[in-house]
Amino acid sequence: MEYIKPVLLTKNLEIGFVLNNHKKKIVYSDINISAAKGELVAIIGQNGVGKSTLLRTLANLQKSLSGEILIKGAEINELKRIEAARIISFVSTEPVRIANLKVFDLVALGRFPHTNWAGRLKQHDRKLVQGAIRLAGLEGFEQKSVAEISDGERQRVMIARTLAQETDIVILDEPTAFLDLPGKYEIVRILNDLAANTGKTIIFSTHDLNIAMHRADKIWLMLPHEIVSGAPEDLVLTDRFADIFKDSELQFDVHKGDFLLPVDFIGEIGFLGKGLAGLWTKKALERIGLRVVEAGKQKHIITINEKNGVIQLRLKTGDKKIEFDSIYQLSLFLKSIFSRQIPMH
Amino acid sequence: MTEPKNIQVRLFSRKHLLIFGVLLIALVLLFLLDLFLGSVRIPFSEIVRILLSGEGKEEWVTIIYKFRFPKAITALLAGMALSVSGLQMQTVFRNPLAGPYVLGISAGASLGVAILMLGFSSLIFTSNILNIGNWAIVTAAWIGSGLILFLILMVSMRVRDIMTILILGIMFGSATTAVVSILQYFSHETSLKAFVVWTMGSLGHVSREQLQVLSFSVIVGLGISFASVKLLNALLLGETYAKSLGLNVKASRILIFVSTSILAGSITAFCGPIGFVGIAVPHIARMIFNTADHKILLSGTLVLGGILLLFSDIIAHVPGYDTILPINSVTALVGIPVVVWIIVRNRKYSAFS
Repeated sequence: MEYIKPVLLTKNLEIGFVLNNHKKKIVYSDINISAAKGELVAIIGQNGVGKSTLLRTLANLQKSLSGEILIKGAEINELKRIEAARIISFVSTEPVRIANLKVFDLVALGRFPHTNWAGRLKQHDRKLVQGAIRLAGLEGFEQKSVAEISDGERQRVMIARTLAQETDIVILDEPTAFLDLPGKYEIVRILNDLAANTGKTIIFSTHDLNIAMHRADKIWLMLPHEIVSGAPEDLVLTDRFADIFKDSELQFDVHKGDFLLPVDFIGEIGFLGKGLAGLWTKKALERIGLRVVEAGKQKHIITINEKNGVIQLRLKTGDKKIEFDSIYQLSLFLKSIFSRQIPMH
Repeated sequence: MTEPKNIQVRLFSRKHLLIFGVLLIALVLLFLLDLFLGSVRIPFSEIVRILLSGEGKEEWVTIIYKFRFPKAITALLAGMALSVSGLQMQTVFRNPLAGPYVLGISAGASLGVAILMLGFSSLIFTSNILNIGNWAIVTAAWIGSGLILFLILMVSMRVRDIMTILILGIMFGSATTAVVSILQYFSHETSLKAFVVWTMGSLGHVSREQLQVLSFSVIVGLGISFASVKLLNALLLGETYAKSLGLNVKASRILIFVSTSILAGSITAFCGPIGFVGIAVPHIARMIFNTADHKILLSGTLVLGGILLLFSDIIAHVPGYDTILPINSVTALVGIPVVVWIIVRNRKYSAFS
């Protein structure tokens, strides 16, 4: 049940392409999704499921095959192209690296649907462009060429351009692709802040599930035949995340909120330890394939002690007691004990 | 949010205005120098006097007004038109190597004229060949160049690679040249002669009537260019972004192609193919003005185009000698180094996308 009127709503939307022989190639059908004001929505799904097609259709860049897209209550096809451009802005995966194109000029192109035939920027337009540059954290970059800045900075320029376009809805196709980890977090943080502070509805697709789960207000989980939507936590609780990579080995850990590779257990080990040192030692043991249980009658027992900031790692094997300097040495030793000879063929 | 201070609402920055000033002075000087050169030596002061008052030695007045002035104006128009058409093509195709000559637009214009003069007229008015009007010639050239532009657009929508499109453009150019040769082979002697005379067209062979048609066409073409500055800026970002900004991409492309065809077609119709101006000048403008904003680039390309062709025409006179080199060879020698520079630099990063 919807308590808040959505800014964007689709009804039985069918997306895809019309081929040269007038046949339809349906990419995805029966899409019924919505997004509210001030919301950051992440689209998650496997490659090739149709995320880009959906985003391009929502951004009015390609026609839907059937169904409705309602933007602030109006059917998208009834809006003129220029009117739609005042409501929806778009950032594609295609990087813009035009030599001689200045950051300011690229951001100012966001004013396109608002300026006259000559594209003349008035005082008001310039203020908005400057404001957009500031919001994206790009002050001092105005006169730099977009070909000379980093990928993350360029992505921020593209975001600033959507701000200058003054649209209620911003759609971004994989804005975090090609970025390093801090870059990814930075972009999603900016998007999150913008959604919260400016009331814009921001929709983006991503493969970075972790970041999306921590920052998005809503997730559209694009499974092969169904889009499940809700808060990230809703999807965890209803156990729907596991469906994304159903065909792969990955398993979703509902406690950790992340995908893990399944581990074949090679043995069992008793464990006694607390604190950070305990936590990370346990992680290491699980990584090498040991089932970690509370210390009892096991053949091998590990004890972790932390004294005056020094970590002691002790292994009791039968009567033998061995001490280790680091988790690395401990796991190396354990691997040799538990090693199984796996025939190569 | 604090109010940003000192926002400048100016069409051109001070630096750009200064560059324009210098370039305009250079343009005027080259124009005068172009009038100065020729087999008959007329003192520089006399040229200025004749230009300003229209009075002077009758023989000199005739030379200036009947020959040198129209030729210099033609050079100016040709330089401007070809350069602007090159800039438009580079932006629309997002290809730094696009230009009316390399992509076969000029060849398309020749084909249009050849079909009119050889194919069409051989069938209809065999005897009256020289009476084909200037407007008919120029229209045929527009249609020919527009056709090739459209073909290249079709291909470039499927093929993204810059070099592939360039090679295809050269193929189109060669194909049209081949068709023209075949037409020549089958045509009547009289029409063939008229056509051969036309192909030898140069800056100096443009008649007064032709110059009128040419000036009118170039002004119309440039008018459309200046009206599409905003569209060109949006198209620079590529089709997706242009669309998302609310641009009608199809209509914009057609408008820009109409202007490109008029500009490149008209010049080819009366001056013959002049290569490498259209491809080189926009890059020189980008380098000098260091901007991608078409408001500045278009004006800069216009002035630099005029400068380059006047300069080439001056070189073509081989100062001190009575011979005149073909203008096409001179522009090739001036333009090719620029093209080579683009290709070499492009290995590092593309100027577009």
